[in-house]
Amino acid sequence: MKSLTLGIIVGILLSTIAVAKTPIKVTEIRSQNSPLITFRIILRAGSINDWKGKEGINALTAFMIAQGGTKDLKYQEVVATMYPWAANVNVQPENEITTFVGHVHRDHLDAFYKLFSDLLLNPRFDLDDFTRNKDLMLSYLEKNLRGTDDENLGKEAFLISMFKDHPYGTAGATVQGLKSTTLDDVKAYYKQMYTTGRIWIGIAGGYPATLVTKMKNDFGKLPEGKFEPVPLPEPANIEGLEIDFVQKPARGTAISMGHPLPITRKDKDFYALMVANSYLGEHRTFNGVLMNRLRGDRGLNYGDYSYIERFTGGTSGTTFPNVNTPLRQQYFSVWLRPVQPENAHFAVRAAIYELDKFVEKGLSQEDFEATRKFVTNYSKLWAQTLDRRLGYKMDSEFYGTEYFIDRIEKELKTLKVSDVNAAIKKYIDPKNMKVAMVANDAQDLMEKMVKNEPSPITYASPVSERILEEDKTITVLPLGINKSKSRVVPVGELFENESPGKVLERKETEKYK
Amino acid sequence: MSKNMLAFALVPLVVAAMIAGPPEVKKDAKVFPYPIHQTTLDNGLKVVSIPFDSPGIIAYYTVVRAGSRNEIEPGLSGFAHFFEHMMFRGTEKYSKDAFNNVLKSICADNNAFTNNDATVYHTLASADALETIMDVESDRFMNLKYTEEDFKTEAGAILGEYNKNYSSPFLSIFEKLYDNAYQHHTYKHTTMGFLKDIQDMPNQYEYSLKFFDRWYRPEYCTILVVGDVKHDKFVTLAKKYYGGWKRGNYVLEVPQEPPQTQEKYFELKWKAQTLPILAIGYHGPAFSDKHIDMPAIDLLSQYVFSQQSELFRKLVIEEQAVEFVQGSQGDSRDPGMFNIFTRIKDPKNIDMVKNEIFAAIEKAKTTPISAKQLADIKSFLKYSYAMGQDNANSIANSIAHYISMTGDPESVNRVYALYDKVTPEDLLMVANKYFGANNRTIVLLTQEGAN
Repeated sequence: MKSLTLGIIVGILLSTIAVAKTPIKVTEIRSQNSPLITFRIILRAGSINDWKGKEGINALTAFMIAQGGTKDLKYQEVVATMYPWAANVNVQPENEITTFVGHVHRDHLDAFYKLFSDLLLNPRFDLDDFTRNKDLMLSYLEKNLRGTDDENLGKEAFLISMFKDHPYGTAGATVQGLKSTTLDDVKAYYKQMYTTGRIWIGIAGGYPATLVTKMKNDFGKLPEGKFEPVPLPEPANIEGLEIDFVQKPARGTAISMGHPLPITRKDKDFYALMVANSYLGEHRTFNGVLMNRLRGDRGLNYGDYSYIERFTGGTSGTTFPNVNTPLRQQYFSVWLRPVQPENAHFAVRAAIYELDKFVEKGLSQEDFEATRKFVTNYSKLWAQTLDRRLGYKMDSEFYGTEYFIDRIEKELKTLKVSDVNAAIKKYIDPKNMKVAMVANDAQDLMEKMVKNEPSPITYASPVSERILEEDKTITVLPLGINKSKSRVVPVGELFENESPGKVLERKETEKYK
Repeated sequence: MSKNMLAFALVPLVVAAMIAGPPEVKKDAKVFPYPIHQTTLDNGLKVVSIPFDSPGIIAYYTVVRAGSRNEIEPGLSGFAHFFEHMMFRGTEKYSKDAFNNVLKSICADNNAFTNNDATVYHTLASADALETIMDVESDRFMNLKYTEEDFKTEAGAILGEYNKNYSSPFLSIFEKLYDNAYQHHTYKHTTMGFLKDIQDMPNQYEYSLKFFDRWYRPEYCTILVVGDVKHDKFVTLAKKYYGGWKRGNYVLEVPQEPPQTQEKYFELKWKAQTLPILAIGYHGPAFSDKHIDMPAIDLLSQYVFSQQSELFRKLVIEEQAVEFVQGSQGDSRDPGMFNIFTRIKDPKNIDMVKNEIFAAIEKAKTTPISAKQLADIKSFLKYSYAMGQDNANSIANSIAHYISMTGDPESVNRVYALYDKVTPEDLLMVANKYFGANNRTIVLLTQEGAN
């Protein structure tokens, strides 16, 4: 929670405006009825812009802004000032963009804006704040992910493996990258990246119209700069099932799997695949085939879902994903929540079995109609607040498409079951996927799986004949594991160094060093 | 980057609903500004509606005032939560699949959660689906039917949930803390239940039927709608769909907890990597919307442990000895625990950090809070609450909490009115009353093999 100086600048919104040379991009949703205001200031840079050998510098710089001081106020003073208003500033560093989010009641808007904009435009960059933020990031990688959060460990291990030699190929930072990053590096990165060409203002709520003009003027004082996206190479081909068995002490076995997708929200086929995916594994509902077959029928675990784009959040307090996590290259993924270790091999087989059926048979007309109706209306629940609407609107602009929730309705209206089933066959490939399994007995599990040993399952109680019949097939289902591309990874090796391949903008960074 | 990386993480906070938005914050006004309509049916079921200007959306909640507190029989902990799972297993009229198909057809976001004192079922859907929701919800609350096989299969999902949670050291810490801080009261076990009881769940089918018979009765339940709803129509539908629900006759006697008489200390080892985590729990008061103790404790929590506190500044910002320090007491129907947690960056500093925490508490016992600090905290609590009330689901969630505490949604206004009345002397009083050394239990978790 942060705070802000009282006594700020009455008339701030009426101040004289100097026209910035480079127009700042602005997205806004003004609603005078709302006493709340959300700011979403996007920096069009993310971990893909990290300097070589300094992986994590983008996120660390962002935390130095959001969790640091201003030229006038130390971090603690910032916190103390904002406290009585219950206002807050957060940051969400992602692969492609970094979003600074501020929430405030309009009773304190002027003072809050002064503080929030100062954090971004006049950051303090104290050495103490640097140490604190860097320690937190290191601890997250070295302790929390490696030792206390198997589900996110599995997801990150899967992503790192799938995007090896690709700019998306870190968990936002590496241990060695962070360790080699200095406060001077952060200052230089700020100078390089926080420019008029990369800053994108988002605002929603009950603010006066003059505020946007003021913001454009204020942020227009950042150095001139042009946004040039980092070119993305094609992700590496996946041949068979390529499995990383992550070795660590663990009660259950967490599993993530999937493969890159060549489509995003800008593509028509994305919407066909969206209906297919909802049928297969809608997040945290009992609609999905995976959830019903793995958890519902067999009690294998707590949940089983699938996704056709990056999906973060949605696990505590809300079912819906975070906004502002866009990627130019998306991926298909399946998330099996931890299973009993003795069922891990079976669980992967069961998921592949369902995926095979999904690709082969697709959706029936009836399934299609029910799921299309569901997605059309369910998606409207995703944007109930102005804050989330703003996030979706900015994401839509990122992809260069119309407002996402509207486009879903429009595309689904004319969709046919044949479109959906064709999209499944075209884009989903259960035979060639990256898999990460976080396991207590990684070596043993790998040996059993690569040998394609049967993986019988025993149930606590009798199950139906249908399930037993399916199990006969699942238990011996050949997985096509690529032995040469599967390995045991000691958890201590994960997040230590970057995967090579991030090249582009780092060259231009050299001049700052 | 995983969002979790950000201890700073983006809280999916809120901003204004599309039309109405959250309330204005006015001095001396009720903190909850929307009208609350209540009716009690003849069978004891409470029917609550809160009109809120959400565009065609309603949040439909059923609050069952039975949680892990109600699990009084030894060996059967975790059943309130298990039962939450079983409630999705269907009835004769709507099988599991049929129930899901109905929810899918109305495009609902539907789930449930369990805590110490309640089990809460919630649905977010379009307003015109109200009657459909009431049809399927009333059916499963009155006529739930599942086979022993279904029951055993679902026990596997419970164990999976435990396994999922177990990868965080905080589950082990909570288990150790509560198991030892309480001798008799059912808060001794977590909502998940003791692991040995979870493992034995497949053998407890008969008890599950008894559990349903005891607690899934109208007198324990409230149905709540927030959003685009008319109370008269809602009550009419409630009579139609829930009117035939029969009262039960079970009377709960939760074992009373005697006062703790000496400090308790435990150490845990964590096999995977972690920084040391120190947990200190003090027995605190029960929730009340009449007595000052619990509201005063909430303010004390802000005074001593929030980000504007001296302790936070010293340990987190200046000395950077810990990643975070926090202390608070969640509301509970019976006397609960005020828990302090901190993650310590260097094992060498464990004692120093512990002593700093104790020193901060001792100071709070003797040094009155300044008028400005007290005003700032009251302002924070009020704005914090108001900023969260911007959509039907958030409002329903908040009101469901107060229903679970007292059965009366108006408790929210009474509690916030009490916040306004808390004085510096009240903070001194609760600091001295609840924060004695003999009243605390300490759990220290460290990495196995780490120095």
